[in-house]
Amino acid sequence: MSQLFSFLMKPKQYLDPGAGSLIIQVILGVLLGAGVAIRVFWKQIKSFFTGKKGADAEFDPTEIESSEVIDITEDQKDK
Amino acid sequence: MAEKVSASFRDPSGFMFKRDGEFYRQVNHSYKEDFDMLMSSGLYQHLSKANALIPHQEAELDLSPISDKAYKIIKPLQLDFISYPYEWCFNQYKDAAILTLSIARRALEYGMVLKDASAYNIQFHEGRPIFIDTLSFEAYKEGLPWVAYKQFCQHFLAPLALMAKTDIRLLALMRNYIDGIPLDLASALLPKSTKLNFGLATHIHIHAKSQQKYADQKLSQKELTGKVSKQALYNLLDSLLTVVRSLKVKTIMTEWADYYQDNNYTESSFEAKRDLVADFIKQINPKTVWDLGGNTGEFSRCASDLGISTVSFDIDPGAVQQNYAIVKSKKEKFMLPLLMDLTNPSPSIGWHNQERDSLKERGPADLIMALALIHHMAIANNVPLREVARSFAELGEHLLIEFVPKQDSQVVRLLSSRLDIFPDYNPGEFKEAFSEYYTILDEKPVTGSERTMYLMKRK
Repeated sequence: MSQLFSFLMKPKQYLDPGAGSLIIQVILGVLLGAGVAIRVFWKQIKSFFTGKKGADAEFDPTEIESSEVIDITEDQKDK
Repeated sequence: MAEKVSASFRDPSGFMFKRDGEFYRQVNHSYKEDFDMLMSSGLYQHLSKANALIPHQEAELDLSPISDKAYKIIKPLQLDFISYPYEWCFNQYKDAAILTLSIARRALEYGMVLKDASAYNIQFHEGRPIFIDTLSFEAYKEGLPWVAYKQFCQHFLAPLALMAKTDIRLLALMRNYIDGIPLDLASALLPKSTKLNFGLATHIHIHAKSQQKYADQKLSQKELTGKVSKQALYNLLDSLLTVVRSLKVKTIMTEWADYYQDNNYTESSFEAKRDLVADFIKQINPKTVWDLGGNTGEFSRCASDLGISTVSFDIDPGAVQQNYAIVKSKKEKFMLPLLMDLTNPSPSIGWHNQERDSLKERGPADLIMALALIHHMAIANNVPLREVARSFAELGEHLLIEFVPKQDSQVVRLLSSRLDIFPDYNPGEFKEAFSEYYTILDEKPVTGSERTMYLMKRK
């Protein structure tokens, strides 16, 4: 583990990720993992009683919108 | 002649340069593997197709100013205008944050990770945020935490939280802290109640404490008991997405956002003014328009609706936010609303004062529009007419300006609470002052008012 982090702290990374910012991720990893598990469990209970699936995922700007895709690379080639 | 762009000097993976007025990006040999992975894994295709990452073409290697280091030269899609985070309204900023996190998430699916999460990596193109740093991706290594977590919190979460929970004007801190707002400062400025908000408590308050605690400490095995799995990274990104999405500004009741409901235009004179502006724009046929004091973009749209790349600047966060809402709902491609105090426009900042350009350095625009603005400069801000003319002449080639005389109700309102120390504020003096810097091409009265519209070309 310490090797893992010493790798991160080496100058190969051009951003200083900050020791505190790395450590908190370890803690959050545990906390959020538990949170997600509870949420998933809760949704399952809810959908069991209501018969509904959870609300759709929120808007993701990296989702490819098929109707709207304009291939800018193609446009540029023409120029 | 190739010229390195000073905004990208920190990254050893490559840099931007300009040749014959066009921007290129050099990919250094040191970044070869990651770049090849970006291109071959399908991540690039996915993100550029979704208009999330700037598309590029490969260009000739010998274009490079330092070609011995060059692995590839790419020519990205050329943007009309570079804006900076401290010029965005809240929702633009929020969309930029959501895009950054969504890209980081998507990258993980393709076995890559975002190695930096700078707000300066986002630009607005055709009304939407787009990620412009093609060299920000690297191969994901199992078990490692997100190196850009701190940067994301400083560049995105802290300013958004401060704007939403403390004061919208704290965006200005981004102009001072070029690497984002320090988390201990953000933590101190946020109201205590945010410590009860799980997202803000962890990603800002506890994060800041953790930074302080481990600032001088070497990481040892004892302190690092856990390992950050890929799933934990997804959870971290999702948690950040949840908190960013939850941040909202209250309906901003600012001075100007309801200007058009609140002034004495009649519908017909409003229409007439719009036609007049559109006619003048067509006479010049500009490629770029900057509308200074554009409010919600009502008249800026005379230009952008013609397919002209238009930036609509306003000092009022509420007006810019409304303008951006229109851009989004109508999917407008030629309008960019931005926040700008024209009496103190964005300066050049950063290393050598060259990392981020001042407003002036991003010009000149083909046409500057200054409608119903002159009285705010000359009377509300005591700027002499000659000074206004000099400043506008540095920003653009042509000027479309509306002179608002003293008898106009808006000026009467400005003067009602103060001593009239402006004996020179009249059409004659106005024309004389502006003639020093401009040739007046045309002038027409604005129907239904005592105002006059002038079209000028700088000398």
